[in-house]
Amino acid sequence: MLRIRNLKCYYGQIMAVKGVSLSVKKSQIITLIGANGSGKSTLLEAICGLLPGWDGEITFEGVPLKGFDPPAVVKQGISLVPEGRLIFPPITVLDNLKLGAYTMYRKRQHAAVNQTLEKILDLFPILRERAKQAAGTLSGGEQQMLAIGRALMSHPKMLLLDEPSMGLAPLIVEKIFQILETLRNDGITILLVEQNAQAALQVADYGYVFETGTVVLQGPASELLADQEVKRAYLGKDYGEFYDDK
Amino acid sequence: MMTNDDFITLSPEEQNQLQLERLQSTLNRAYRNVPFHKQRFKEMDIDLSQIENLSDICRLPFMERRNISENYPYNLFAVPLRDIVRIHTAPGTTHNPTVSGYTPQDLSHWQSILARALQASGVTAHDILQITLNPGLSNWGRDYKHGAEAIEASVIPHTPMAIEKKLMVLRDYKTSVLITTPSLALQLANYVQKNELNTNIFELKTLIIVGEAINTDDRRLLEETLHVNIWSHYGLSEVPGPAIAFECEAHQGLHINEDHFLSEIVDHETGKVVPEGDFGELVLTTLTTRAFPLIRFKTGDRARITKTQCSCGRKLCRIDWLGDRTDDLINIDGVKVHKKQIQLTIQAMLDLPSDASKFFIRKRDEKKYIEIWIPVNDAIFSDEIKGLELLIQNAENNLLENIGIPVAIRLKEKNTI
Repeated sequence: MLRIRNLKCYYGQIMAVKGVSLSVKKSQIITLIGANGSGKSTLLEAICGLLPGWDGEITFEGVPLKGFDPPAVVKQGISLVPEGRLIFPPITVLDNLKLGAYTMYRKRQHAAVNQTLEKILDLFPILRERAKQAAGTLSGGEQQMLAIGRALMSHPKMLLLDEPSMGLAPLIVEKIFQILETLRNDGITILLVEQNAQAALQVADYGYVFETGTVVLQGPASELLADQEVKRAYLGKDYGEFYDDK
Repeated sequence: MMTNDDFITLSPEEQNQLQLERLQSTLNRAYRNVPFHKQRFKEMDIDLSQIENLSDICRLPFMERRNISENYPYNLFAVPLRDIVRIHTAPGTTHNPTVSGYTPQDLSHWQSILARALQASGVTAHDILQITLNPGLSNWGRDYKHGAEAIEASVIPHTPMAIEKKLMVLRDYKTSVLITTPSLALQLANYVQKNELNTNIFELKTLIIVGEAINTDDRRLLEETLHVNIWSHYGLSEVPGPAIAFECEAHQGLHINEDHFLSEIVDHETGKVVPEGDFGELVLTTLTTRAFPLIRFKTGDRARITKTQCSCGRKLCRIDWLGDRTDDLINIDGVKVHKKQIQLTIQAMLDLPSDASKFFIRKRDEKKYIEIWIPVNDAIFSDEIKGLELLIQNAENNLLENIGIPVAIRLKEKNTI
């Protein structure tokens, strides 16, 4: 569905993503795990048209995304749930959601938008309860749900999530990831960028491990969960022995 | 049961993408974790982000057998030793043996590779599968055992025994699949013919030939004598294992497990990739191996690649492999030894100049062995026959232990060699 070949992203002279190839299959959860600064978020920005200069190929359902601006990418069916949620705190939950359907509003598809809104409020009952509240008053987990709900308003085929578990309690993380599984089972493809490798690999079908802008390992999520190297580096196990002499 | 067969169902484009992803991460891991690779890539000024297609691999340096022995024992491992769950030793090309390691994932990949190859030969859970190999190929014995267990066949693992005993097991245990080398198979066929055994009493229907290529005449002879279907497998005895390529029901070349290995054919002298369909040296790069990645490993085997679709429908390219070598390794029942290595052993034992001895591959009852001629010098000459015999026996034992294949030593007068 999404295919990336030899993606290179630059911040000025610095190459942040150094020739990454990866592929995302339909109706799967694919996760990119890796430490801070390994280039995961940069890769998402490149897909969404938020990053001006990149080399390589990104194709979504056969369409090259080179040169697309963010609205054009959304029109292709890709929605981003950004890092740190980036909701609009002063306005209501409902309005926040409606903003996610901005491209549809402009086409005056109000009825369709309302229908989608209902569906999303069914998916996140807590948002229905707080529909009239200002988004800024929501808890971290609720805000994350709002951010996901907002991304779903544009009927994406693929959802990109940047660190959805950040700053959330383990129980809430579990809840959020359960929702991702539900969405996957409904046919939405998910590309999940996470530092919380344990949680991400538990829901994902396939994973890529990033290290300083390159992919060093990929495989079925179950295989990566069992991998000694992944365990040491990202699952917080055995760290003391990581630098053992061979 | 796990055979990892999604790869075969992918479109060529998807296969290419998967191979590229695996190649890139293999290279990144090798660069990070193996000083040998890092140093060579740096010396050649190779920027791994420039490897954008499978064919770009031709910019990378070759790996040879000597690199493996130079880095004896663990310096080519790409994971810390504590992640290794199995260590294999095979005869090397110098006095150092070849050591390779496997992580749990590596072993499970091998199991799926073997299972796929066995399934292509029609092996199922109903089969009784017997493994008979030379001691030098005992690593393969273990791999075949695991692969066959993955498809739930009943395995009679490799155990060294006399030919009569082998035939007894073959008959009484109702073996339906036999995995062995060409010369061991020919030995069996000879024995059956000589003793006028009735092959109807055998349940054997499948013969999987490993270690060496089998020529058409031998294939026909075995098929007719033993009333079996023959399938050939290609592998590396040193690293990382058997069934890198396998025959399918069409018997027109051997399919390479392209999801795990990238293959190239190069000119042995120039190292340039030859046009598709030409014969040359087979070069392999591992795509999934964690512990012991090979990057452009020169196998020394002469082969050619066919990319056209096979009538069996498997979307895996094929190699024609006739058993010729591009180097001076000697292949004895699948165990590859270097003359230099034998010379070193003899030299150490008898205090000879290294180029004094000569080698011949001989056959006794279809069983291959190496005959070595050694010039008699003052150091080994003894008036007593007993002393000489003891010396020869010691040398033969020592060589058998060191390289895992039978050796016969003949003492010759200096001027006859």
